[in-house]
Amino acid sequence: MVFLPDESRSLPPPPLLNKGSVWLGFTGWLSALLDNAFNPRPVLQAGVHRQILFATVGCFVGYQLVKRAEYKHAKVDRELFEYIRHHPVDFHSA
Amino acid sequence: MAAGLRAVRRWGSMAAAAPPRLAFTRSAFVVNKANNAKPNWLGVGLAFSTSAALWAFLIKQHNDDVMEYERRKQARGHSSTKCS
Repeated sequence: MVFLPDESRSLPPPPLLNKGSVWLGFTGWLSALLDNAFNPRPVLQAGVHRQILFATVGCFVGYQLVKRAEYKHAKVDRELFEYIRHHPVDFHSA
Repeated sequence: MAAGLRAVRRWGSMAAAAPPRLAFTRSAFVVNKANNAKPNWLGVGLAFSTSAALWAFLIKQHNDDVMEYERRKQARGHSSTKCS
C-alpha cells in the first residue's frame, strides 16, 4: 500500500506548518525535554541539538501524515459526491 | 565428534580444578557513566546535519508539491474549459 498515491499530488498541498506538523514537532521537542529531565540534565538548556532534531523529525512526520489524511478525506468526499450524482432519486430535496 | 566431546570434558575438568583467576563476564550491564560535561561532538554534528537535511528535504518537497498542484490545475483547467 503506497503511503501517498500519485493522485494525492492533485490536491492543494497543506501549508508547511499545519496543525499536524506543529503538534508533532511540539511533541518531539517535549520528548527531548523529557529525556533531559530523566537523565538529570538542565531541562531547557541542555542537548539543544537533540531538541532541534526531535522537533524536526516530528514536523516531518506530521507533514507527511497530514498529507495522507487530506488525501483520504478527499477520496471519501469524491466517492460520496459520485454516489450522490449516480443516485439522484435518493437525494431529491423536497 | 567423540574427540570433541572428550576435549570439552577435559577443558571442563580443568576449569573446575583451577581457581577462577579471570572472570570473563558477558554481562550487558557494564556501562560507563555518561559524561555530560564533555560534548559528544560527533553526535552533535550528526544531529545538526540530519536536522538541516530533513528541513531542506521538507521545504523542497513542499515547493515541489505546490508546483505540481499548480501545474495539474492548469492542465485540468485547459482541458475541461476553454481558455478565457
